[in-house]
Amino acid sequence: MSEEIEQSDSGQDGDRLKDQQTAAVIAASSFIIFSVVYWFFQIQSVRELLELAYG
Amino acid sequence: MPISLLGPYGRSIITAAVIAAMLAFTLSYANEYAHGSLLGFFEWMETTWFGIIGKTWGGVFAIIQAFHLLSMAVLGGTILVSEFRVLGIFLNEISPQTVVQRAHSTFVWALVVVLFTGVFMACGVATKVYYLPVFWYKMLALGAGMLFHFYIRMPLYSNDFSQLNPRVLQMTAIASLLVWFLVAATGRWIGFSG
Repeated sequence: MSEEIEQSDSGQDGDRLKDQQTAAVIAASSFIIFSVVYWFFQIQSVRELLELAYG
Repeated sequence: MPISLLGPYGRSIITAAVIAAMLAFTLSYANEYAHGSLLGFFEWMETTWFGIIGKTWGGVFAIIQAFHLLSMAVLGGTILVSEFRVLGIFLNEISPQTVVQRAHSTFVWALVVVLFTGVFMACGVATKVYYLPVFWYKMLALGAGMLFHFYIRMPLYSNDFSQLNPRVLQMTAIASLLVWFLVAATGRWIGFSG
């Protein structure tokens, strides 16, 4: 009986870990993609401004 | 909503749903509608005590701003030290859990000061920041950063690191650095915007 409870607990722990890691991958990849796009356009706009100012 | 209703991947489903909702809000007309409806609120902010004090006494505004910047520096420091430890760049002789947990308590205090002083400063210049797109980027980054920190990062880091996939840990640390860098950079840009 106690072994079954332990197995169930470790199964729940495994699910919880997988869930936390999947959530982290979803959120982290979204932030990384957003940051790459955001900073690309920010740097691009500064380059265009500098070209307008100095040719 | 009880997470158990969503099955074993409740946190992942909620995370994906929140990101999809934020994307839909940002890319749709709901964004413009919400922006327009908030003008009255921002005008009211300038009539509050915080707004009147911020506009009348520049010295008080400057002191509050100094505390805002100091707490941002502390907040950034806690993020740098924890994420660099998770990435294995320094403090490798101390366990990552110890570094993360100790930095977290300082992070919470710094965040409270950042929010309080930030609200005060926003009241003083409410109608100015309302028209600045970078202010809204900062609010988006701050909201996303707080959600990420308390809902994703801390629950993940509270586990034994040896049980976690190192790539997931690295991605989480890099995302955390990027989102708080965005908060700091957009905050600095508000200062540059007149």
